[in-house]
Amino acid sequence: MRLALAIGTFLILLIHGVVFYNQFFQKWERNQIAYFGQARSLAKTDAERAALAERKPAIEQIVVSNFGETRVDRCTTCHIASDDPRFAAKAHPLKTHPYSLELGDTQKNGKWERRHKFAEFGCTVCHDGQGRGLEPKYSHGEDEYWPEPLLGYATQEHWRKDFAPKLKGKAFLEANCVQCHTERGFKSTPTVERGRQLFYASNCYGCHRIQGISEGTIGPDLTEVGRTWKVDYLWARIADPKSVLATSIMPKFRLKDDEVKSLVVFLKSRKGRNFAETEIDRFKVKLTGGEPSKAGPQPVEIKPGEMVQQGEKLVADRACAACHKVGEKDGGVAPDLSFEGLLKGEDWLLEHFKNPRSTMPDSIMPAFRFTEAEFKAMTAYLSGLRTVPVLSTPDATYKAFCLRCHGEKGDGQGPIGQHLDPFPRDLTKSGFMNSKPTERLVASIRSGVPGTSMPAWGKVLDETRAKSLLDYIQETFTKEPRRELKARDLPDRNPVPMSPESMTRGQTTFVNRCAGCHGPKGDGKGVNALDILPRPRNLRNGAFVESVNDRRLFDSILYGVQGTAMPPWIDYGLSTNEVGDLVNFIRGINPKPKGGQHAAAN
Amino acid sequence: MSPKKQPRLSLWTTLVELPRNVWSSIFRNPIPSNDLERSATSFTNFFLHIHPVKVHKNSLRPLFTLGLGLMSFFLFVILVVTGILLMFYYVPSTTQAYDRMLDLRGTVAFGMFLRNMHRWGAHGMVAVVFMHMCRVFFTGSYKKPREFNWVLGVILFLLTLFMSFTGYLLPWDQLAFWAITVGTAIAGYAPLIGKDIQFLLMGGTSVGQEALLRFYVLHVAVLPTVLTLFIAFHFWRIRKDGGLSRPAEADAIPALEFPEGSSVLEPHRTYGVQGLVRGPLHAAGKVPDNTVFSWPNLFRAELFVFVVTLSAILLLALLFDAPLEEPVNVMLPPNPAKAPWYFLGLQEMVSYSAFWGGIGVPGLFVFLLFLTPYIDRGSAGVGRWFARERLLANTIFLTFVIVNIVFVIIGTFFRGPNWAFVTPW
Amino acid sequence: MAVNLKKISGGTLSPDGSYRRRMLGWLTGVGLVGSGVFSAISNFVFIKPRTASGQPQRFSIGKPEDFPPGARMALGAQRIVVIREGNRLAAVSTTCTQLGCIVGLSDTGFACPCHGSRFDQDGNVTGGPAPRPLPWYKVSLTPNGEIEVDKDTVIQPGSYLSL
Repeated sequence: MRLALAIGTFLILLIHGVVFYNQFFQKWERNQIAYFGQARSLAKTDAERAALAERKPAIEQIVVSNFGETRVDRCTTCHIASDDPRFAAKAHPLKTHPYSLELGDTQKNGKWERRHKFAEFGCTVCHDGQGRGLEPKYSHGEDEYWPEPLLGYATQEHWRKDFAPKLKGKAFLEANCVQCHTERGFKSTPTVERGRQLFYASNCYGCHRIQGISEGTIGPDLTEVGRTWKVDYLWARIADPKSVLATSIMPKFRLKDDEVKSLVVFLKSRKGRNFAETEIDRFKVKLTGGEPSKAGPQPVEIKPGEMVQQGEKLVADRACAACHKVGEKDGGVAPDLSFEGLLKGEDWLLEHFKNPRSTMPDSIMPAFRFTEAEFKAMTAYLSGLRTVPVLSTPDATYKAFCLRCHGEKGDGQGPIGQHLDPFPRDLTKSGFMNSKPTERLVASIRSGVPGTSMPAWGKVLDETRAKSLLDYIQETFTKEPRRELKARDLPDRNPVPMSPESMTRGQTTFVNRCAGCHGPKGDGKGVNALDILPRPRNLRNGAFVESVNDRRLFDSILYGVQGTAMPPWIDYGLSTNEVGDLVNFIRGINPKPKGGQHAAAN
Repeated sequence: MSPKKQPRLSLWTTLVELPRNVWSSIFRNPIPSNDLERSATSFTNFFLHIHPVKVHKNSLRPLFTLGLGLMSFFLFVILVVTGILLMFYYVPSTTQAYDRMLDLRGTVAFGMFLRNMHRWGAHGMVAVVFMHMCRVFFTGSYKKPREFNWVLGVILFLLTLFMSFTGYLLPWDQLAFWAITVGTAIAGYAPLIGKDIQFLLMGGTSVGQEALLRFYVLHVAVLPTVLTLFIAFHFWRIRKDGGLSRPAEADAIPALEFPEGSSVLEPHRTYGVQGLVRGPLHAAGKVPDNTVFSWPNLFRAELFVFVVTLSAILLLALLFDAPLEEPVNVMLPPNPAKAPWYFLGLQEMVSYSAFWGGIGVPGLFVFLLFLTPYIDRGSAGVGRWFARERLLANTIFLTFVIVNIVFVIIGTFFRGPNWAFVTPW
Repeated sequence: MAVNLKKISGGTLSPDGSYRRRMLGWLTGVGLVGSGVFSAISNFVFIKPRTASGQPQRFSIGKPEDFPPGARMALGAQRIVVIREGNRLAAVSTTCTQLGCIVGLSDTGFACPCHGSRFDQDGNVTGGPAPRPLPWYKVSLTPNGEIEVDKDTVIQPGSYLSL
């Protein structure tokens, strides 16, 4: 007991000693002592030497009050030589902060003078990092919790290993330069400028809003994105969107590393407010809603005579090819527009431009802001694209037309398949393929499936070629041979007349029987929807509902859709009349779509 | 006394005797060398006079008490001292609090170490107080005449939790902000008054400057005062209830230890005042004297507990840094947002049912805790760990403790984003 | 903490024990008292701030060109007046040596608005209750050519920095 007591008390004494030692022999003190020693040898006068000999290590700090909230920067405690030109060739931390014309520093009589004086700007205004800390790990922001690690220098441990090395370099600092230098085209911030151009060129502006720059509403608002997120997150979100958020609908754009970098720097500079604007500026923006995207693309005056040329230029300039394929350019996200004139009519194109979701309810294409005349010009250009490669074999046909969506293996996992909703049909599912008559499948190819991304290939493939394509698909992907289909007892027209009462009855049945998958609103977003592939059909799709006849609706409901999760409801006791009510309900919630559907209308 | 007989007070003797006089005026008792002085030690020293002169041997058995009660007291002392020191640098302001944390970590000498001590001390105190409660239950020590002291103990436990909870917000980082947001929301589920309590605690509808100030005042002024009062009350009751509990056999004459002819027993039991103190000792002179002097036996044991507690906290503070997460961002809750660990059991239950998990079950539990000594009236099995006679009570309590611990462990380690079940490995 | 310890460890724990017991007692006492002393010292170190909460005591006030010869410029926030005579430069405190008010510049030197103390151009007391002349602070040129004032170092009045 006594021994234990003695040991215990000595343990306490020992810990006290260790804590004491840690506290009084810190790295920054050694740095400063080293600095004093080196400076003494460089000193020219005795007085200077004497003054240096007297100096004791002390925490240096700069209180910066000119830039937003007051900052306390103690960086110069270790980087004590940062403003001492004699230390230019030394190693960090005892190294002079470089002078450069780019930073606005000037040279007078061979002596540099700083444009950004440390006493006024401190360090973290430009470099980020944590001004108050004295331990490199914390002050450089390598600690995973610090939101602003040294831009372009410090990386944090939990950052993705493949991205971290790309997040280094001076260019990242530009994000902070533009907090004050807000003028466009400021010569010292080329990366931000390039990022800003890419923001338009990659069509980021179509989905994302940045106050004063863009008005997109599909993706998150990026006005304050630079204040909220670190560069590693921004990089990952652009370079590999689904790695951060599995449910993200953002496509993985085909961007090179330096393009991603420019975008990251540009986004990092979006902090909602910058030091250059006053409270009154902000209030004005609040009152007026800000100037509408002056920085963005400006409307072009369309001359009737040059519509097609101007349309072509618009399609090229406004970066449709960031997603679509137009000729040689391919964004790898959206369908091929190279022979759009053969697939869609002008009305459809114009309608789709104005509001993509009016013709395709689940399209991820944003509604871009163009003038009516611009839309018309682009429509004119696209509907003129009518040259098709001459293809001899069904195999080549499949590769040219179908593979982009349905994939190499025919399983719907084509390069752009994941961005389409409804998902491209899985052609390997024999349950589906063999339960539909050949005529219907050929019709799907030739007339397309309205309200979805399946275009009408009628003008490209005649009946014979469509059939041979289908045969090819059946042979290559479906594999199972077709069987004779049993004749089903189905009404050609809905026997229940359309009426509000019928719709109400239909709704009741729908909510009871169908809502689990198709959702209570019929939009295909029921609670089970996420677990089902292919996803339940979105029944609020005017174009699609309009295009299918009563017989097919009855067929799908009563006998189910083989190869999907849709069960045969005849087995679950739905009568023909109840199905009639359902059909009335489904038709009732879809107002007749405006405009034509197909270029290939027979 | 005539002036002549008085020894001459020369300046010299005054000076020579000054140190000794000062010393003896403070410590009236010399280091004891006989029983009289040993007994005097307890009541001449301000800090020691709360102790009895003699203490029952049973109370000194380390494996009986495990020193848990004392340990919680010493933790409280450590927390008070480190807390007061930290107050020198802390500002309860949403714009400054986090910066002050950075300063403590970065520039203030020993700042981080003191914060570590305070943090780990606080967590430790919650744990130790809970273990102390379990000890008291499993040894049946809450039984007559100690019923009310058990109630005081439960109050102290709740106060400790609240104390730790209010301190959790003060660093004003993401961890603090969202833990308190979640914690106060749980309070909001109480029927009728829940919303009012939540509003009063936060001084508004969300956690902000008002909440920070309120939590600060509660943490540094209100709760420590109340806690100190209740600790004093708790200690006072221990003595008035006849010291620590012990089995009835502890006072029986052990045949082996007192062979014939030994006369250790009788002469000491002559204090008349003893009769005033309730407890089984009132039959003075008829029972064996199983007590020993507090000096040095009790005090050494206490010093030992103190040394163990202090070195444990110092070691923890040296080896592990208290967490400091991102500065508060009210727009960006972490996923999952977790309450402090001791409330994670609650949060886990809340995820099943807001009212029953957050208020119903814990409320019932606390209510039952208060009532325990008045429901469980038998006097069998007092003063022994897991006495066979108290199998039922102990089983019920043990089940409860284990369920609680399991919930805390699930909430701490097995809950990931969206409160989905994850494995920590 | 420390106070509590000393009371308990007021001496050896076992007056009548063996030599070993006595030694252990002493060791315990030394350990506790030593830790107590350590923690007492560290607590004082702790509460003594190592950094100023506002502007630091040693600061740069700009280039020599900012102060033309003959200038007497009061820097209010820093509580100094910068005096430049020809090629010499000095910094004099504007904190009154009596009770800490800020003295103002007057024709003859400085005048304190609080209790009427007056100082001459060099800060010597010429009237009023002020007990000492205004202190002069050390001024030096930093390697990058700026003037640095160190308010922690008081120098002999009348000593200028030659530029």
